[in-house]
Amino acid sequence: MIHRRHNYILDSILLVLLAGFFIWVVYRLKLGLGYTWNWKVIPQFFLRVHDGRLQMNVLTLGFLTTIRLSFWVVLFSVFIGTFAGILGSGKSVFFKLLVRTYVEFTRNTPPLVLVFIFYFFVGSQLMQVIGVEEWVRNSPLWVKDLIRVLFSTPERFPEFLSAVLTLSLYEGAYITEIVRGGLLSISKGQFEASHALGLSEADTYVFVILPQVFKNILPSLTSQAISVIKDSSIVSIISIQELTFQGMELMASTYLIFEIWITITALYFILTYTLSHLAGRLEKRLIR
Amino acid sequence: METNPIITVSGLTKIFDGGFAALNNVSVTVDKGEVVSIIGPSGAGKSTFLRCLNGLEERDRGQIIIDGVPLDHNRKHRLEIRTEVGMVFQSFNLFPHMKVRDNITLALRRVKKIDPPRCRAIADELLEKVGIPEKADSFPQNLSGGQQQRVAIARALAMNPKIMLFDEATSALDPEMISEVLDVMKNLATEGMTMLVVTHEMGFAREVSNRILFMDNGEIVEDCDAERFFSNPEESRSRQFLSKIL
Ligand SMILES: Nc1ncnc2c1ncn2[C@@H]1O[C@H](COP(=O)(O)OP(=O)(O)O)[C@@H](O)[C@H]1O
Ligand SMILES: [Mg+2]
Repeated sequence: MIHRRHNYILDSILLVLLAGFFIWVVYRLKLGLGYTWNWKVIPQFFLRVHDGRLQMNVLTLGFLTTIRLSFWVVLFSVFIGTFAGILGSGKSVFFKLLVRTYVEFTRNTPPLVLVFIFYFFVGSQLMQVIGVEEWVRNSPLWVKDLIRVLFSTPERFPEFLSAVLTLSLYEGAYITEIVRGGLLSISKGQFEASHALGLSEADTYVFVILPQVFKNILPSLTSQAISVIKDSSIVSIISIQELTFQGMELMASTYLIFEIWITITALYFILTYTLSHLAGRLEKRLIR
Repeated sequence: METNPIITVSGLTKIFDGGFAALNNVSVTVDKGEVVSIIGPSGAGKSTFLRCLNGLEERDRGQIIIDGVPLDHNRKHRLEIRTEVGMVFQSFNLFPHMKVRDNITLALRRVKKIDPPRCRAIADELLEKVGIPEKADSFPQNLSGGQQQRVAIARALAMNPKIMLFDEATSALDPEMISEVLDVMKNLATEGMTMLVVTHEMGFAREVSNRILFMDNGEIVEDCDAERFFSNPEESRSRQFLSKIL
């Protein structure tokens, strides 16, 4: 009981300090820098009226792009990480070495450098080789519409895809390590019982091992997915028009530095907070 | 006398990394319907022997033939043997994320491709057999050790194996739960199942099994009739072991 009240007092003091800090910052901005706030113009960057119709504007578009980008990156990087994690924990020395090289190279290189390497040498070359651009150009309208909903504008689809690939390879290295750790926590007996029952190796992983691994690593995966959302801003340097890119463009044209950064931060926070909240609920359901 | 060997092992040798021979030139045949208890001090190679029989452990030398099928590098042969030989482990090894029924039916669905209603019927029938029909929808962690081991037996039986291997199936159990598992094993023996049972339960070995393999140092030291082994063992090492344990 005493402990509780003590915490209350401490919390209140911290809150007051925090509020004080913010007031001080705003005050400094106003008096020190002579900054005038102009929040009124922000909403039109979300929605605007164009030709008498309500239209999504840059911030909404960027927000949606960030969501799409993150979604695909989480999906692919979990695939990559699962495969690499399994290969890296197996008996084959060759695959072990291959996976270690991938993980160490990726983790010990600045992400910005990686984005350039992957994007220019891997992504764009690969896109050309498999002829994505042409395929999109020649595809029927409904495919183009589908691409617009799920990925990006059809014109920018190749870039979008290589950004997804780049980020997936980057995040996949971290997920590889998470999966490897998760596999270590599964007892050998689970593999042996599956073997004795005649289950194939693939079935053993899909039905016996991975469900247990994913249940165990869900918290780490969640924080990695949150990293994905944040890291996705890196690809703004290769002109993917996600949230950060749009924010910087807006800033260059409006000079509303603080309003825009605060808005962008809030949007990222909404995404990451929603995600961790959902993951928390999923975790509770799984633990039962 | 007609013999009908369902297991033929000859010259089986297993050498672990570091050059240690856990099994040294082991040869033995087991007839259909025989219940063989394998006893011996810890580290004798009993588990390794069982694990070689269903391919859980790769042997270094020797030949293993199960019901006419050689255990070699042929994938079809290996799969056939894995499904025809059931195994029960000391640590149960149930799948913790699946209900009891799903534990039992997983291999039926995935390996034998049996349809769900039929799987369900098989599972319920087996749970009846091992005496816990009411636990079909429970998760393993909500079962006692004895119940978990009985589910593990049902799970192995679901594949309709011709041979059952038990590796110290009761060693991890509290004393009051041992008999419920032994009873299930006894029934299985009565039904004519071919069983290889690594055990420390001398009562079971003596009463239920027809035959004893006494192992030590990676070898079968004595291979004889169960009654004879306990009343009048031939080898001095068997006698020493029995004097310590009885
Ligand atoms: N994976 C392994 N690697 C190295 N040595 C092992 C391994 N498994 C078992 N052994 C050794 O082989 C011998 C036989 O083991 P085991 O078959 O488990 O004996 P038992 O079941 O009779 O107690 C033991 O000395 C054990 O240390
Ligand atoms: Mg053993």
